[in-house]
Amino acid sequence: MSFTDSLMAGLSLVATFEAFFALFAGICIGVVGGAIPGLSATMAVALTLPFTFSLQPITGILLLLGVYKGGIFGGSIPAILIKTPGTPASSATILDGHPMAERGEAGRALGMALWASCTADLVSNLALILFAGWLASFALSFGPPEFFALILFSLTIIAGVSGDSLLRGALSAIVGLLLATVGLDLVYGTNRFTFGDPNMMGGLNFIAVLIGLFAIPEVIAMAWNPTAHLGKARTLGQSKVTFADYRRSFKSIIRGSLIGVFLGSIPGIGAAPSAFLSYSEARRKSPNKENFGKGEIEGVAASEAGNNGVAGATLIPLLALGVPGDVITAIIIGAFMVHGLQPGPMMFLLNADIIYGLFIGLIVSSVFLFLVGSVAIRGFRFVADVPKRILMPAVLVLCIYGVFAVNNNIFDVGVMFAMGWVGYLMLRYQVPAAPFLIAFILGPLLEDNFRQSMLMSGSDPMILLRGPITWFFWALTSITIFAIVRNISRKAAI
Amino acid sequence: MKFTKLTGAVALGTMLSATAAWAEYPERAINMVIPYGAGGATDISARTIAEPLGDAVGKPLIMANVTGAGGATGSVAVQNAKGDGYTMLFARVGSHSVNPAMKATLPYTLDDFRFVTVYEINPVACAVTPASGITSMDGLIAKVAEGGVSYSSSGVGSLPHLASAMVLKEFGVANPLTDATHIPQKGGGAAVTAVLNGTATFLCTNSSALSSFVANKQMVPLLVTTSEPVVGFDAPTANELGKDVLNKLVGWTGIAGPDDLPDDVADKWGEWMAAATQDAKFNETMSARGSVIRLMDPIEANAFIQDQYKAFRDLVDELGMRIEG
Repeated sequence: MSFTDSLMAGLSLVATFEAFFALFAGICIGVVGGAIPGLSATMAVALTLPFTFSLQPITGILLLLGVYKGGIFGGSIPAILIKTPGTPASSATILDGHPMAERGEAGRALGMALWASCTADLVSNLALILFAGWLASFALSFGPPEFFALILFSLTIIAGVSGDSLLRGALSAIVGLLLATVGLDLVYGTNRFTFGDPNMMGGLNFIAVLIGLFAIPEVIAMAWNPTAHLGKARTLGQSKVTFADYRRSFKSIIRGSLIGVFLGSIPGIGAAPSAFLSYSEARRKSPNKENFGKGEIEGVAASEAGNNGVAGATLIPLLALGVPGDVITAIIIGAFMVHGLQPGPMMFLLNADIIYGLFIGLIVSSVFLFLVGSVAIRGFRFVADVPKRILMPAVLVLCIYGVFAVNNNIFDVGVMFAMGWVGYLMLRYQVPAAPFLIAFILGPLLEDNFRQSMLMSGSDPMILLRGPITWFFWALTSITIFAIVRNISRKAAI
Repeated sequence: MKFTKLTGAVALGTMLSATAAWAEYPERAINMVIPYGAGGATDISARTIAEPLGDAVGKPLIMANVTGAGGATGSVAVQNAKGDGYTMLFARVGSHSVNPAMKATLPYTLDDFRFVTVYEINPVACAVTPASGITSMDGLIAKVAEGGVSYSSSGVGSLPHLASAMVLKEFGVANPLTDATHIPQKGGGAAVTAVLNGTATFLCTNSSALSSFVANKQMVPLLVTTSEPVVGFDAPTANELGKDVLNKLVGWTGIAGPDDLPDDVADKWGEWMAAATQDAKFNETMSARGSVIRLMDPIEANAFIQDQYKAFRDLVDELGMRIEG
């Protein structure tokens, strides 16, 4: 079958009312699901899965993809409005999105999040369609040593989100690394820091830590000093994003999309590190460097581009290799299998019509996301206008419900409150929370890949330098550390 | 005085209502705990059976994923629940035979549960990549003798971990733990990827997790552990290779309650499962994923699980694989 034949076959498959309706409905479900803290994009996709069993394969898969993409964008809504990431992927969006909302620019931040998400989504989909084969083979050359080098480099992001004091940032990161070690040891399977409590065996729940660290300190601060915010007008969320904003952030959006595409095509990293990496790169390159973390719109653009850039790209390993890139695509693979489809190289030959149908659907999904997102923003941005004394109790209830719902475990709610106090103390002593979070996400990846590399080589550290990819990341790491050290010494000189 | 009376009255009331409840179990919704994450093999299996099962029960089934620690967190939640039949667990080979056999410090044992059914069996297959040049079990064993062979798994104490060790031992490798290297991964998807990208040499896991890779010729199956061949897997069965012992090495999903679950509740579950597994759509969905529907009643299920557990425990003792601490 030639390219045009496949394209036409795909078009005839997907050009039905049901297929487009499923995609549209999926995006709506995703945006709402993602916007509810605790009901992450993963959960929304998992809950939608059983409904796809009775649908046509393409319709069902488009429904799930819609939920996925909508969910990743939807997560940015509570991140900006109430400092509670709806999905882990949108934690980077908090850094600048929430200060913007505090300044009364919730509408502008949300608008930028949407524009950046849609642009990144489009770039990501195009990358999938044009370079799937190439990126997939690139992804397969990522073994534990390559992962280790990449994660090590990613840890340098911490310097970028530490704010004024690198020491405070490092302290925050070390606490994050420490708490990430709770749970079962990967290689020996023994208990670490569980204190004999079965609830601790699974490690600290990521979403509980995330919400505890960001949302709860706000609630505590409010309860501590209920009138502190009066006078600081949190004006109406009427402000809108302008084309000039978009153009100014365009470079960061494209850079973020490409980072998303690369990290998304490598199985096992996920959207959160990509958002942080994109954010820190944007900060490094931006003329408004000083403004990052205080409500810089380019920061919102970069982190949203980083996480939505992953959404299309995770389908690269899924379709080209049959390997799920993250938890969500693992669920989507389930939908393929139920319909007797086996993702992988042969699918491009056997079911080319479905592949091309998916491609067409994906391109359309970026447009749908824009439409649904615009409506959602119009509805949600008035949350910013709700008086804080009403908003905060509501946020608390949402957080408790959300964290409980993740795992149906009351212990996680306790973790959230404990982390809330940690976060509150960090807030009081001006220790930034973002390095904690990055370390908490990347720490286990760093450790696991290091130990897997050591198992592979029989404890010979030279395996960490085994090929060009590792050399590349080691070089990047050295250059970045050199730059950080030089900056510090310059500051010290002044 | 007054207090004692009140307590007595309350206790009497509870007992009465409890007796009334037994008469017409279930009189309210039943909580079903899935100890693994959304989208995993256990989750999909549980949610697929939930539909016909809910019809058979006549009351809603509330599905809740309680994840963590290789299924231990969710299992403990049910272990500690009241044995009234309103909190039940989707038990899986990993959480209820491999883990108890391997982990000395697990907060529960098999005796803490009463199994009411096993409804699904998953054959286990071992596979390598075409690039490895290995085409048969003999080839793999020869490579092990040369050294440098490793196997991936979805984690320490998972079925793939134990399966690889068991297969190597049955095929005459003197010390599977030192002659081949175990490279644990986080999750089943990562375990397959590790073999595809050359981090590990081979993997033994549920055939359903490998079927698409075998169909796409990204992997070569070496062995299936069932006595019957598995559709799509061009590999000898364990029996054809003369290793009948490996028939015990299969994945399964079942339902369990706390150990004090009354007999009549267990019987009810037996009836419901018999009805639910007749459902055509359920059978179709599960077979498409490579599972074999095989319904066991409460007695058979208990015997099956105990039998597998003992086999695994003996292997763990013999190889010194037990995880202490």
